[in-house]
Amino acid sequence: MSDPFKPRPAFAPWDRRELPGLFDVEESARRVGAYKWIEMRLFEALGGWIATVPELDVKMILGRHCYHHAWHAELFDKRLPELREMNTDRLCAPANDAMEAFVEALHEPDAPELTIEKLVGVFRVLMPRKIAAYTFHLNGTSRVTDAPTQRSLEFILQDEWNDWREGEMLLQSLIDTPEELERAIRRQHELEALVVRAGGITGPGTIGTTTEVEGAGV
Amino acid sequence: MRKQLPPEMLARDSRFVRTSIMDQILDPRNRKISERTIGPAKLAPGRPASADRARNLMHGIFTGEIQALEGAGRTMFDFDETEAPFALKLDMARQCWDEARHVEISIKLGEWMGTEIGEFTEATFLYEAACAPDPVLRLCGVNRALEGLAIDVFNTMKEFGDVSGDPVLEFCEDWMLADEVTHVKMGSDWLRRLTADDPERLERALDFQRTVDKLFSLGGFRGETDENPVHLARKLREMAGFSTTEIDEIAELSELARAEGKAAVEAAGSA
Amino acid sequence: MTIVSIVPEQFTLVEFDAERVKAIAAEVAKSVAFPSDVDIHIEVDEVLPAPLNSSQADYLEGRADLWFTGGAFEDTHKGRNIDEVLTRCGLGASLLRVKDRISGGFEDAPNDSEISERQRALWDAYADGRLTRIEGFVIREPRRRYVYRLECGFNDVADAAYDQLWASDATTWADLLEIEARLIEADPTERGAKPSVRRISLRQTQ
Repeated sequence: MSDPFKPRPAFAPWDRRELPGLFDVEESARRVGAYKWIEMRLFEALGGWIATVPELDVKMILGRHCYHHAWHAELFDKRLPELREMNTDRLCAPANDAMEAFVEALHEPDAPELTIEKLVGVFRVLMPRKIAAYTFHLNGTSRVTDAPTQRSLEFILQDEWNDWREGEMLLQSLIDTPEELERAIRRQHELEALVVRAGGITGPGTIGTTTEVEGAGV
Repeated sequence: MRKQLPPEMLARDSRFVRTSIMDQILDPRNRKISERTIGPAKLAPGRPASADRARNLMHGIFTGEIQALEGAGRTMFDFDETEAPFALKLDMARQCWDEARHVEISIKLGEWMGTEIGEFTEATFLYEAACAPDPVLRLCGVNRALEGLAIDVFNTMKEFGDVSGDPVLEFCEDWMLADEVTHVKMGSDWLRRLTADDPERLERALDFQRTVDKLFSLGGFRGETDENPVHLARKLREMAGFSTTEIDEIAELSELARAEGKAAVEAAGSA
Repeated sequence: MTIVSIVPEQFTLVEFDAERVKAIAAEVAKSVAFPSDVDIHIEVDEVLPAPLNSSQADYLEGRADLWFTGGAFEDTHKGRNIDEVLTRCGLGASLLRVKDRISGGFEDAPNDSEISERQRALWDAYADGRLTRIEGFVIREPRRRYVYRLECGFNDVADAAYDQLWASDATTWADLLEIEARLIEADPTERGAKPSVRRISLRQTQ
């Protein structure tokens, strides 16, 4: 029988977590605030679009996804005070003007014939960007000090992967003709240009690249 | 995307056909039907043509759920956070998910009952309650009036499933009822919170709700007498936070709506 | 040569064309091989709209006596207008049932006003099943199955009986009574008679 009073290493042999991480408290809070902001703009858009898409399956899926992103926003909102940001609205902001312009363009399609444009913006531009940003945060932050953010990000990424896959499949099922393909590519190109200009959802350096983007308005 | 989407712009695929309440009120057959009373109008398995009447009502529930989903979605988008707080938007998002599930359930139930999507027409009066420019009015119109009506209708359908021995109908309606009770509570809570310091706004909202409740009584569709196909679900409404006084008031409004509906039918018949 | 008559000859509350209904009935009679020496009388109660759908089909005084609510023929998308597909099916099933009464093993069956809802549901399943195998009829099988289950029970015995009737081309009233007994054994829930929406004469409300 082993001796329960015999000293053991504080960390299990397989625990490879290290200090420090890439982000200090301020940077982590800034990123989390930007995440909350983008999740809010996304769930609002999905909610608004429900009434404007004629496809019944898309309507129901938007209704479901809408709640997922609202929950993500709630998780980020709850994390902010723990990162010393008591006024959670202060950091709930776009990373820069270009990001705000991107979201404005994302929200733009309204007509019932524009389901492809609506979905491309969400599932081929924004969600891959979010997955990238959250993954970078998850991998880069200290797994000791920023563990609560990581835990939230892990739950959120699970949703993001599932929803992205479902959205991509929706798009594949909607794009049948060369004209529809052209519309999807054009829309993706327009929005990608804006998000590149913004430098990602938390601005330049979203996924660790440090090159300043001219005109990003940081 | 525009703010404040009017009912005529609700997007539907080609299976859906829209109708107006006025077309139904002005139908010249209405006057003659009222002379044909052959017993209680409540939807029950032992009543004439109960299967087709149940199928028709189930399709109405299906389109109503779509509109409730759309209404909750628009409340998130149409208002900024000074008008609709973050926590209210989160609740609306949760409601969107619930309503989306109700649409799914309604489609499956429709299939079970042999009904095709779009087999019956759709009226948009439910969504109209979600078009108010003040979020508090919307909460009263959607979460208290519309979802309150849903409690009455689902309870009627649940009883129908129970009496007829239909295990699927009874099961589904019971689950949807649970959600609707939550949505009504949510509406009542937010009504209190948003109007805590503004009694005039509260009164405007409750006035709006009375108007909507009367409209949703559909000239006698919902009430507490033998002439009403759908009955007020008093116990479930109490569970959802309605006071006895409020329920009594809805019963009175329903009776008033029935009398007005009858008068409108007679006026249309003599015109 | 079958003569088709209809009441009312002129519809006033709905946009049905009485001549068109008669023409459809004549076409349907041929499709279901209805005896050409038997006349058909159709009565449509135009006051009763969809979804108040109901019908009766009897063989009285040497002719087919058919009664329908207006709802049984009504376009659910365009109220007060006729849905010809639905009308064809309603007439087809009714004429098949009258044919059963004349010489199809249902000679002993009571009139429709006297048979139970369960018996009627069984017979309707038998009629609609046959119609699906005749060209020109679009039957909504799931609807028929639901109406049937509501009257006959939501259980395996009832479902098996439905499938048997649906596939059958030669069921008799005696078979039907035997099936009914099986269903009652499987689900003894009392199902009271529904009040009829049929008026003895349309003149009562015209």
